[in-house]
Amino acid sequence: MENEEGLQADGESDPKAPIPVSEVDAWENIRDDDIMQQQSAIRAEEAEKVPFIGDKEPLSVLAAEYESGSPILLKKIKVLGEKYGSIRRTRGDGNCFFRGFMFSYLEHILESQDQAEVDRVTTNVEKCRETLQALGYADFTFEDFFALFLEQLESVVQGKETSISHDELVIRSRDQSISDYIVMFFRFVTSGEIKRRSEFFEPFILGMTNATATVEQFCKSSVEPMGEESDHVHIIALSDALGVPIRVVYLDRSTYDIDHVIVNHHDFIPSAGDLPSAGGGSSETTKPIVTLLYRPGHYDILYLK
Amino acid sequence: MQASRARLFKEYKEVQREKAADPDIQLVCDDSNIFKWTALIKGPSETPFEGGVFQLAFAVPEQYPLQPPQVRFLTKIFHPNVHFKTGEICLDILKNAWSPAWTLQSVCRAIIALMAHPEPDSPLNCDSGNLLRSGDIRGYQSMARMYTRLAAMPKKG
Repeated sequence: MENEEGLQADGESDPKAPIPVSEVDAWENIRDDDIMQQQSAIRAEEAEKVPFIGDKEPLSVLAAEYESGSPILLKKIKVLGEKYGSIRRTRGDGNCFFRGFMFSYLEHILESQDQAEVDRVTTNVEKCRETLQALGYADFTFEDFFALFLEQLESVVQGKETSISHDELVIRSRDQSISDYIVMFFRFVTSGEIKRRSEFFEPFILGMTNATATVEQFCKSSVEPMGEESDHVHIIALSDALGVPIRVVYLDRSTYDIDHVIVNHHDFIPSAGDLPSAGGGSSETTKPIVTLLYRPGHYDILYLK
Repeated sequence: MQASRARLFKEYKEVQREKAADPDIQLVCDDSNIFKWTALIKGPSETPFEGGVFQLAFAVPEQYPLQPPQVRFLTKIFHPNVHFKTGEICLDILKNAWSPAWTLQSVCRAIIALMAHPEPDSPLNCDSGNLLRSGDIRGYQSMARMYTRLAAMPKKG
């Protein structure tokens, strides 16, 4: 709405670029619904370029992307290549963190067949359900999303009638009705965790750009709606709520010494007690289950060599 | 489609169960189409809409609850965030701030809250917005009250 007005005002104040009367009239007739439709059309167009979850690609595709770009980035990609072998892209639609987490986590279960981890996370999902109930959410608003996640979790465990292959996991992750519902499951879990521990999260939220927001408003405007990008706060909350350690590797142009670039990463280790290995150790001994590559504004999945 | 139908059915049952809980909202599903709903909401007290009953029309998309319902006023209302002709409502949760945590019932509550707390800086009804923006509270209230009497109250006699 405001942009629309801004554009119109700019056009009128610029004598060099007169706007045809008919076009101005057309703007006046644009309704919010039209704007939303246009937005979803743009999204649909973008969607065809990158699926929700891409194919696994060698890390060299990253270097190719920055071929004529920043030398710092190229050096960092080289360093990255010492440890990581491949990347799987996610669509940049504001849900990339959650989609990346979803695929990476389910893929981990599928490959490890770690029943103890499945049981552990299932227990945590039930705790998240209780959290939402205690916060006053009506069951019917979130239960479908919970059910779909638990269904996917169960289906990656092999040896059952409902078990699925890796190919099928990729197909499902690209199916909007499944992928969006699981993103929404994570959004509910994240929001519930932030609200449950609002005293802990409040200073983080106050420190963000939107400085006047309360925890409640933050969850309402930046966590629960689809397409809202994830930040540190979201990652901490999701990692803690599900008890899943996450590593985020940062690929940006920051550096102290151009001759000895290092690639920073941050491990989000769930608060003690919820760790995958019961009685688990310190942050050094806990291995991240999910590793994501962060480039400003976007998360992709990263694979060790 | 199936998911939205199932969710709406749950909302329907909840509305039946909680009928008495929110006397300001009467939410009714179309007899033959679960994607069409109407609501009667009471104008909030201490506002120019007090004493009026306003009808809302809901059109629920197949992607519900991932996408918001389309809601508009069927009853004429003079309010900065409601289009005077079409009844379209400018409310963040009906656009990009929507989430499945909202329900048709809680959307009604949000609309009642919007009636009590207009946001004149993003107006759909500029005449109404301008009255508030220029500080003419009395002008705004008398216009809003007049339309409430004309359109949202039972005719006397």
